[in-house]
Amino acid sequence: MQQNDSSNESRFIFPAWANYLLPALALMGIGAATYLPAFVGLGFSAKTLNVGYAPEQPVPFSHAVHAGNLGIDCRYCHTSVEDAAFAAIPPTQTCMNCHEKVLPDSAKIQPVRESALTGKPIEWVKVHNLPDYVYFNHSAHVTRGVSCVSCHGRVDQMDTVTQVQPMSMSWCLDCHRKPETALRPADKVTDLTWQPPNGDQLKIGLELKEKLNIHSPAYMTSCSTCHR
Amino acid sequence: MSDPSHDNKTSGGTLKSPLFWIVFILVMGAVVSWLPLSIIAKRRFTTSDKPRIHIFQDMDQQPKYRPQAVNNLFADGRAMRQPVDGTVAFGDVQEDDHYYRGYAMTESEQQGKYQTSYFKGMPKQVTVDENFIRRGQQRYDIYCTPCHGADGFGQGTVHLRALELQQSTWVPPTSMHTDIVRDREEGHLFNTITHGIRNMPGYGKQIPVKDRWAIVAYIRALQLSQNAPVSDVPADVRPTLR
Ligand code: HEC
Ligand code: HEC
Ligand code: HEC
Ligand code: HEC
Ligand code: HEC
Ligand code: HEC
Repeated sequence: MQQNDSSNESRFIFPAWANYLLPALALMGIGAATYLPAFVGLGFSAKTLNVGYAPEQPVPFSHAVHAGNLGIDCRYCHTSVEDAAFAAIPPTQTCMNCHEKVLPDSAKIQPVRESALTGKPIEWVKVHNLPDYVYFNHSAHVTRGVSCVSCHGRVDQMDTVTQVQPMSMSWCLDCHRKPETALRPADKVTDLTWQPPNGDQLKIGLELKEKLNIHSPAYMTSCSTCHR
Repeated sequence: MSDPSHDNKTSGGTLKSPLFWIVFILVMGAVVSWLPLSIIAKRRFTTSDKPRIHIFQDMDQQPKYRPQAVNNLFADGRAMRQPVDGTVAFGDVQEDDHYYRGYAMTESEQQGKYQTSYFKGMPKQVTVDENFIRRGQQRYDIYCTPCHGADGFGQGTVHLRALELQQSTWVPPTSMHTDIVRDREEGHLFNTITHGIRNMPGYGKQIPVKDRWAIVAYIRALQLSQNAPVSDVPADVRPTLR
């Protein structure tokens, strides 16, 4: 008895709550196994990180007013979009075409007027911004009939331009594998409300793909198309 | 078993329920794990004026200037430099008066006095065919309709809105279907597009030379369409005219 007691004191005995440790750990394990992938998958996805960026601009310029209500064509301002890789942001003079005479005294136009007087450009904040190692080209898309709306959403309803597409590599590739989902007649690219005849996008898409001789998916997804 | 030292705390016996702190940790863990998820949800469903987060910088930002980027080295902050005044880029000599300007300056009888004469007809560099006029129509719809309207009568959306806002500074755009504009030389129309006229701004910076001529050709077609003799209308549709 005596011996037994003393060894009892020195020997480690798991406390009773330890019985709950194993189930608790199992519970945490299952939790973590579902949680971590969800966390990484959602948290690191381009849809979370990139979409919804709507920086405040130096002038409260509204596409909903100009492109929507007034119906000004995108190319009136973004003149280079059909000919160049880059879609030019309009110079101050383009705004002054109208604002010399329309609302010339509005406080919201003040920075534009100032820029016209001093020649110092308005510093618009870039919304869509691909990494510098990606080669993107507007004219390649716009002249083949990929509309602004496929990549920029309903800009003509936005007061502040907001990024609505993830613009990740997988997003580019999704379309490059199946361009027929986005092709339309080239003269309708700036008509953001255009609907395919009878709502059948695939039919007209495949027709145009055939007619324009669009590159094969192998070319469209080859690394050097976008990383050159 | 009745020994008081063999109670729940020291032996391997069973508890009726898990200890408070185990439950506490599990519940807290479950609650706190929603915090990042709700931040993610917020980022996904609302807009933000903060730029995207670059988790891996890679070579996202390279030491080069993209078009229209800012470079504070220059006083005006433009990385894209403007051509120096009075210089001409290679291949950009604009010698042909008719094509590039639409008018010519000729010295008149009095010494040192110049007079401008506008060219009639289209320059030889362009051929007017259906494609050319269609191109002109498209360009007209982009650049001119906001003020002059698609039909050229001067009822564009911007004009109508300016009237609605009662802008005293606004001058109504001229209708294309007046004798004044009909009688203008092609060169005069071209010059109007390039440099504007009176209260109309110039579009030379926005529209390349060839497209300006396409617009001129389209204006001529538009004028014809609104001012054609009845005899030009095919006989079978004539009764539908009002
Ligand atoms: C009256 C001139 C004007 C018209 C017409 C216009 N834009 Fe813009 N656009 C601007 C200006 C100025 C900016 C820069 C300020 C801003 O981002 O709001 C801009 C910015 C943008 C941007 C964001 C660029 C970036 O920084 O990533 C997109 C996309 C865009 N426009 C698309 C369109 C589309 C599509 C249309 C036709 C439906 C259109 N715009 C018509 C003037 C115009
Ligand atoms: C084709 C003509 C036209 C052009 C080009 C144009 N605007 Fe406008 N803008 C208008 C008209 C018309 C209104 C009034 C619209 C309304 O209130 O419905 C307006 C309204 C505005 C307003 C709101 C002013 C207020 O007090 O409510 C701002 C800001 C503005 N424009 C900025 C710009 C900028 C910046 C540019 C150049 C990128 C530009 N606009 C180019 C015609 C134009
Ligand atoms: C295939 C997708 C796609 C289409 C179609 C497209 N864009 Fe873009 N746009 C982009 C991407 C991607 C960027 C960002 C480019 C960068 O950061 O280099 C961009 C950037 C812009 C910018 C900012 C300036 C620049 O070039 O970086 C403007 C303005 C713009 N787009 C307008 C338009 C207009 C107007 C149209 C329709 C005529 C259009 N875009 C069609 C994908 C597209
Ligand atoms: C909505 C569809 C769509 C999306 C989204 C799209 N593209 Fe494209 N892309 C096309 C089509 C269609 C072509 C024309 C192919 C042809 O000319 O055969 C094209 C052509 C190109 C070309 C020129 C290929 C060549 O050599 O002729 C490049 C470069 C390119 N895309 C890059 C990109 C990048 C980078 C992105 C993502 C930011 C992107 N594209 C997103 C449809 C799309
Ligand atoms: C359709 C255009 C396109 C093609 C084809 C393409 N990429 Fe990309 N790639 C992109 C874009 C756009 C990004 C930038 C994504 C971002 O900003 O999240 C990118 C990013 C990357 C990155 C960096 C990823 C990161 O987040 O660090 C790597 C590496 C890459 N691409 C490799 C490749 C390889 C290898 C191929 C050929 C199998 C390829 N790409 C083909 C458009 C393309
Ligand atoms: C910002 C509005 C606006 C736009 C856009 C515009 N115009 Fe005008 N236009 C005017 C105004 C205002 C007048 C009348 C000027 C005056 O009488 O002071 C005018 C007058 C004219 C005239 C008559 C000139 C004469 O001989 O008396 C012609 C021709 C003309 N515009 C052609 C065009 C063409 C072609 C375009 C497209 C490239 C265009 N305009 C775009 C506002 C505009």
